[in-house]
Formats: sequence, C-alpha cells, structure tokens
Amino acid sequence: MKKRTPLLILVLTLFFAFPPMAPAQVQTRLRVIEASNVGGVIDPSLKDLHGQLGSLFRYTSYRLLRDERLNLSSNQPASVPIHEGRSIEITQVGLQANRVELRVRIRRDGADLLNTQVRLSPGRTVLIGGPKHGEGVVILALSANF
Amino acid sequence: MKDSCSSISQLLERYFDRQATDEERSLVERHLPVCQTCHKRLRALEGLRKAIKTPVDEALKEETFPWVWEKIEREIRLGKKPSWQESVRSWLDLSPISRKKVWIPAVVTGIILILVASPLLFFKKPPSYLERSVVEYVESGVYNVMVYESEKAKVTVIWLFEGPQNESPAS
Repeated sequence: MKKRTPLLILVLTLFFAFPPMAPAQVQTRLRVIEASNVGGVIDPSLKDLHGQLGSLFRYTSYRLLRDERLNLSSNQPASVPIHEGRSIEITQVGLQANRVELRVRIRRDGADLLNTQVRLSPGRTVLIGGPKHGEGVVILALSANF
Repeated sequence: MKDSCSSISQLLERYFDRQATDEERSLVERHLPVCQTCHKRLRALEGLRKAIKTPVDEALKEETFPWVWEKIEREIRLGKKPSWQESVRSWLDLSPISRKKVWIPAVVTGIILILVASPLLFFKKPPSYLERSVVEYVESGVYNVMVYESEKAKVTVIWLFEGPQNESPAS
C-alpha cells in the first residue's frame, strides 16, 4: 500500500492537470417543422418537442418536413436544404466539456438571410422560426448530443 | 639484561601488532625464551586482544546490517535495466532516512495547494449573462429578429419577422 501511494498521487495529479478531453465530433439533430393552424395534427416524431412547442406557440398543427442527424467536426460546415431554395449551414466552431458552439447560417442564392452563433448543451434546443411556408411558418429545431 | 629488556619491551607492542621489522622480530624472538617478564607481557597482550575481539566478533555475527542489504539491493537494481514502473518507483522512493524529510513537506504542500485551489475548483463563480446566454450573436439583413430564452423549458427561440425589406416576393 505504501509503495502504491506515490503512484496514486501521480495518477491523481495527471488527472487533474489533464482532464478527459471532450470528443471531437458532435452529433447534431436538425428538424424542419411546418407549424400552422390548419388542422390539429401533431407529428408523432415531434413528441419530445411537443411540450416546448405548445408552451411557446399557438399553432395547432406541427408537421415534420425533414429530420437530419449531422456529425459535425470542428470547422467543417454541413449544409442541409430546408425549403423554397433556402439552406441551413451549420459549423461546429467550439467544443467544451458540456457545451458546443455552432455557427448557423440560413442562405438563399449564396446570400446570408440569417447569421448567428449559438451555444448548445445536451438537452437544450434552439428553435429558429418565422419564415412563411404554405399556410403556416417553418421552424427549425436544433439540438446536440455529445 | 635490564637495558636489553627495556629496549625489547618497547618493541613488544610493535611485534604483537605485527608491525616490527624482520630484524626487530628476530631480536624479540631471541629475547622472549630467556626473559620471563617480557614473555608474561606478551601473554597479557594476547589475553587483552582475546577479551576485546571475542565480543566484537559475536556482535558482528548477530548484526544483520539492514542498511548494507538495502545498499546491495539498490546496486543490484541499478545493475539490471529497470522497467519504467520500477524507474518511476525508484524515482519516488527515496532512502529511508530522507523519506520523511521529503514526504512530510510534500504532503503539507499538497494540502495547502488543495486548500488554496479548492475554491477555484469547486466554488466557481456563476457565469455572467453573456456566458450563460445561448445566442452569442445574431444578425440578419432581411429579418427583424427576436430572441427568447427559457431556462425552465431549456429552449431558445430565434424568431424572424419579415420586415418591410422582405427577402423576396417569392418567399
């Protein structure tokens, strides 16, 4: 036991000096939702978001248009078409133990319609909504898992 | 005879200690059979040596000298190439004399460092609003933007209002 004590001290020192590093890749989920007051259908695949959507918006119908899971590496942008010629480009620009920084751009014909940077922690959702789509609006739900 | 005995008695201790020259030794050896006094003195010196040497020899036989064995073991360890674990251990494992001298201050220093560092490690100051905020920045030349953050629902909303300078009539 006595002989193991210095090794234990060394291991603990190294652990506190170099804490375990966060994974380099982050899995991000992007859901494109059409929200409207036409009908009262809530897509079953939006069950986990229903509480948040219902507490924030007064739409009666939520329909999932697209569900993408993106494995984002650092500074490698991933682009996903959303609707009516618009696309969303997501780039992981920073990663800490419990938080990822994502730069989000919504573009149309190469021009930025929206440029933002958000910090996401596991379990947190960012909703980007507003642009008209059909009878309602489009809402992008962005969450990260790491 | 007396003068001769007196000069021999000066040589007797050197003879006894085997430090006498060949000439001195033969002089003593010629004198001893004829001089009872010198003969007795030599016997007395032999008795004295025996009286001192015997207990010392016995004590030496009983003594194991742990420090000698430690030194030998260390020499053996140094002789063969040690593994990296042994190298680390020997680097940390100091001699029994200095071990206390090193470890006690080391442990005390460690405790002081932990006491000093623990407020930084365990009682971090709460992050500022900017650090807590989910949205770092948002900009749009097309939309008016509203940001709403709900800590309870763990959701952040970036809502885009179409302003007078709409992105295009087609949208």
